[in-house]
Amino acid sequence: MFESIGRVVREALEAFGQAGSLAAEAGRSARDLKTWGPNFSQQARALGVNSLPIGILIALFTGVVLALLASYSFTGAVPRYLVGTLVQKTVMMELAPVLTGLALAGRVGANIAAELGTMTVTEQVDALETLGYDPVAYLVVPRILAGVLMFPVVVGAAMFVGLGAGWAASLGLLDMTTSEFLKGARLFFDGFDVRYGLVKSASFGFAVTLLGCTNGLRAKGGAQGVGSSATQAVVQSAVMILVLDAFWAVVWLLGRAA
Amino acid sequence: MKRRSNDWIVGTTIIVVMVGIVFSTLFLQQAEFGKKPELVTAHFRDVGGVQVGNAVVIRGVVSGRVKQIALAPNNWVLISMEINEGTLMPADPVVLVQAATLFGEWQAIITSRTAVPVNREVDAQLAEVDGAPEGSLRGAVLPDIAQLTTVAGGIAGNVASVSERVRTAFNDTAARELRRSIRDFSVLSRDLATAVKVQSRNLDSLAATARLSFADVATSANALQRTMGRVDSATSQGEVQEILRQSRQASQNLRNATERFESLSRSLVSTEANLKSVVGKADSIFGRIERGQGSLGLLVNDPSLYQNSDSLLIDLRKLVVDFRSDPKKYINVRIF
Repeated sequence: MFESIGRVVREALEAFGQAGSLAAEAGRSARDLKTWGPNFSQQARALGVNSLPIGILIALFTGVVLALLASYSFTGAVPRYLVGTLVQKTVMMELAPVLTGLALAGRVGANIAAELGTMTVTEQVDALETLGYDPVAYLVVPRILAGVLMFPVVVGAAMFVGLGAGWAASLGLLDMTTSEFLKGARLFFDGFDVRYGLVKSASFGFAVTLLGCTNGLRAKGGAQGVGSSATQAVVQSAVMILVLDAFWAVVWLLGRAA
Repeated sequence: MKRRSNDWIVGTTIIVVMVGIVFSTLFLQQAEFGKKPELVTAHFRDVGGVQVGNAVVIRGVVSGRVKQIALAPNNWVLISMEINEGTLMPADPVVLVQAATLFGEWQAIITSRTAVPVNREVDAQLAEVDGAPEGSLRGAVLPDIAQLTTVAGGIAGNVASVSERVRTAFNDTAARELRRSIRDFSVLSRDLATAVKVQSRNLDSLAATARLSFADVATSANALQRTMGRVDSATSQGEVQEILRQSRQASQNLRNATERFESLSRSLVSTEANLKSVVGKADSIFGRIERGQGSLGLLVNDPSLYQNSDSLLIDLRKLVVDFRSDPKKYINVRIF
């Protein structure tokens, strides 16, 4: 039992160590613009634009549920316009980045790990090296950059839609007026809320794509290995998103509150 | 061709989303496009809980935002505020910062110096800021909810202290003595009623005796009159008639006195009845007090009620004094 626990911990640490090593290598390869440049827009479309529907769908339902939940919770002396405050703060600072990040961890992380894993087990990566291409610059850098750039775009759209859904739910289901909802949404709104959500989502994009690439390039043993690496990528990405969420809260929110 | 398509779609998506985010942010921040805000600065010794982004209010209308808060030389705090273009400032303006809601939101109010609520602390702050650099408004901080609750906490502490002292003074022994005094008073009342009843009976008896005596005197006077009439007719001098007339007059006077005495006796009987009723009621009240019934009974038998009443009076007195000295402190606080 002790041996199994030790092996699991060692493998997890190895994965994160390899991810760090790959990140450093990607940083060096990012200078090779000619290699990764042509692939960037394709990856940005695959990881970002094609992920917009799932991000928007999540935000749509999240906004409605939050408005109803706030209305249910705020009774008695608590004014109803605070429904707008809760929807604005929660959607922009937490739910849009984290829920969208988790959804994209499944969609994007598994996609990258499976794609690179297949290339690895079929020795296409070795072939790229043989042809004189830097596999990190060709495969990893455009994906990481696309993730860092496009995750905030998807999350930004989710914020917009989530707030709008909360607004619509307040009007349609809670008999609130537009001015009431806007009063609450504006009461404690700060530009920092948007910055915080977008920066956090960029870090999620970096972690998800990096872990997807790391697990994909580590894949061994055919289809089973590819499946295993995709699973590992999703699990590690989800954990990393929650860890980063806590990290930003402690570092940025706590520092700002102090 | 495929690559150009990807570029176009990705670029369009990024631009659309970014424009949406910027527009939403400006909309929620209530930014006014095409208007250049005016910058106003104010000097404070202390700015309470004001933060960058808090509302600046003029005559109850949000007219700007707090842009910057910075420490300045000579222990000043400098607040820079962006005021909407064209906003008319009040005459002799000063800036008051205060809590806007119960949720920790603060605001800066620009108002005329004459409209500042009468408050020693605020006056002292504004007088101190008179020495601030030229070209800057004077500022003061109004007490917030936390300070008020702190004061209330202090009052509660004082009340508790007074209650403790009252409890010490008005202990069980004192309550027992008070109850015993009430019992003694009840007994005294009963004795008094008995004495009045006895005296009233004596007066009745005396009046009856007097009435009989006066009747006898009247009978004797009549007999004497008849006798003297016969003597007068025998003597024909008239002196005896004069004596008899005076005797009749005296008899009449005695009758009147008897009637007045009877009337007095009846009044005494009525008074006795009233006194009996009063004593009975007092006895009932004292009995209820002794059994701990009613407010006074509770007050006597339950020291805490008295203590609470006394504490409440003290607290109310302090509150009224504080309210008279600084009414704005209580009516200026806005909720939401």
